[in-house]
Amino acid sequence: MISYLPYILGEVANPMNLALLLVGNVIGMIFGAIPGLSGTLAVMLLMPLTYSMQTGAAIIFLLSLWVGGCSGGFIGSVLLGIPGSPSSVATCFDGYPMAMAGKAGKALAIGMVASFLGTFFSAIAGAFLSQTIASIAFELGPWEYAGLCFVAITMVLAISKGNMFKGLASACIGLLFASVGFSPIDAEPRFVFDNMYLMGGLGMTVVLIGIFGVSSIVLAYGKGFDPLPEVDTKSIKGLGITLSEIMENIVNIVRSWVIGLVIGFLPGMGAGLSNLVAYSAAKNASKTPELFGKGNPEGLWASECSNNAAVGGSMIPMAALGIPGDSTTALLIGALTIHGLEMGPMVFRNSGNIVYLMFFVVALCAIVCLVLQALGMRTFPKILKVPYHYMYPALLIISFMSAYVDSSSLYKCGMMLFFAAVGILMAFGGLPTSPLILAFILGPTLESNMLKAFQNTGTASTFFTRPISCVFMIIGIGCVFSPILKTLYAKMKQKRSVQ
Amino acid sequence: MKIKRDQITGLALILIGIIIAVMVNQFKVPFSVSYPGPKALPMIAVAGFVICGAGIFIESTKSTKEEQVFLLKEGWIRVLISMVILAVYIFAMKFVGYLIATPVACYILTTLYAKGSNTTLKGRLLYTVILTLAVYVIYVFAFGLGLPSGELFG
Repeated sequence: MISYLPYILGEVANPMNLALLLVGNVIGMIFGAIPGLSGTLAVMLLMPLTYSMQTGAAIIFLLSLWVGGCSGGFIGSVLLGIPGSPSSVATCFDGYPMAMAGKAGKALAIGMVASFLGTFFSAIAGAFLSQTIASIAFELGPWEYAGLCFVAITMVLAISKGNMFKGLASACIGLLFASVGFSPIDAEPRFVFDNMYLMGGLGMTVVLIGIFGVSSIVLAYGKGFDPLPEVDTKSIKGLGITLSEIMENIVNIVRSWVIGLVIGFLPGMGAGLSNLVAYSAAKNASKTPELFGKGNPEGLWASECSNNAAVGGSMIPMAALGIPGDSTTALLIGALTIHGLEMGPMVFRNSGNIVYLMFFVVALCAIVCLVLQALGMRTFPKILKVPYHYMYPALLIISFMSAYVDSSSLYKCGMMLFFAAVGILMAFGGLPTSPLILAFILGPTLESNMLKAFQNTGTASTFFTRPISCVFMIIGIGCVFSPILKTLYAKMKQKRSVQ
Repeated sequence: MKIKRDQITGLALILIGIIIAVMVNQFKVPFSVSYPGPKALPMIAVAGFVICGAGIFIESTKSTKEEQVFLLKEGWIRVLISMVILAVYIFAMKFVGYLIATPVACYILTTLYAKGSNTTLKGRLLYTVILTLAVYVIYVFAFGLGLPSGELFG
């Protein structure tokens, strides 16, 4: 690895490449912050520009867009309560209540530092562990992947602790939405009603922005707008956060980082999942779980640290196996192929310099993002000063245009409105939205792996006879029944104390 | 007896579960223990709907807690008005495109949402025009994305 250092330093010290890195980070952050846009979209839109660039420059530009997008996602979540991307859904849960309570500066500072820690250390870990960890992934089969999805969905039910039925019902709605379109393996059309727009399934942009964004704006108008919050900007000094505050959350940070890295590493699962799982893990481990969702900084640390750790995690299978960890790494694999680079085990031997350049650039981007965000932090809360009657129509229009550009069809805008109505009805029924989103994202992975597992052995027992899969299944089942067991235990304890 | 919100939610979930179950039964690929096929995932959802719906209904019936009002009648009317405006906006874009439908929808929404605030007609109009053009320039010229041009003009 050290032998590649002169090449890596030569590439990043090139003024043109440094300029690309800076511009890429800024564009990525803007895309990440605006609901409906994302770092992935930035990579997708600007990728053609890199075809004429040298390989090193192209990698630097594309990765800076991606890291900027991941890092900037928290800005929209904290200030607007609308996730900039799926990776920052859980950031809304506590980031937005903090902002509404006049702690926008603190929430932004936590998001900024957590993003940096997550990305920087995941890139370093990725550089050191990619070859070793990739070999372990060869041992995982569809049973393990299906088991992992099961665990992920059941774990998030902890978010809706207090009413397991509502959390589970929300997850089932997510599974139903994930079923729309042609089924995997058998290509059976499900719930498509002969409509060509439904055959490819429901788009994530449409579902996510409809349920989280549009419905919350419409409901906010229905309930009557709250007065504009006072934003605490004067108290922001330096990064707006102290080392002791970081140290107080160190266990939460490390746990969330590990969750992010591991989930990011698993193909098909990235920051969109890691932030929700880390959030629920933080809530379960917290001494004050009742404060989650009401502006608890622990939730913000967990979400932002894990979603950014997924960046380094998802690069590991991309580099070592040629398998994308998420949609952005899938795009990157495509872009690198155009530059003559075939990702996979052989890349370490043939183009090791490129692989380690990638990890180095991600770590460098984390530092650049931190500096840029620290410099611009005082300007972010000013978004909250924009009156609702100006901000909300703008957000609604941007949301519908995001749906439109998703497939250049107004049908998607209509679908978004439908999902906004679903979001309103779910709010009426008191159903939490995060289990829905998680089940919707994981549904296709869960289903395809489950069916592949059945195709291989023709029995469900294999899920319990394979050790890793069995562990996942036991954890998942335990998660489902844990609220019931906890309630029974609490009742028994109460009974004993009365006696 | 006044029906509770959670009771409505529970019953609605059971009903949705039954409807989905009927639809799933029409899938061609059969369900079997050795290979559950495309019916598996929606059937998991159906089971969840029915069990959770029943659970929510029973819990709500047993509970003696007073439910908080979700929205007043005026609130529901405001929600409905917003949804109708957005639906008309989408419909209008189909025919007249983004550049005509957006300023109209944006002005109506801004005026509606500004009720009770200190805004001027001039300010709202100016904001509407600036927003429409800014979004158009960013999407079309900066990122090369297409926005609805409208059947009447396209």
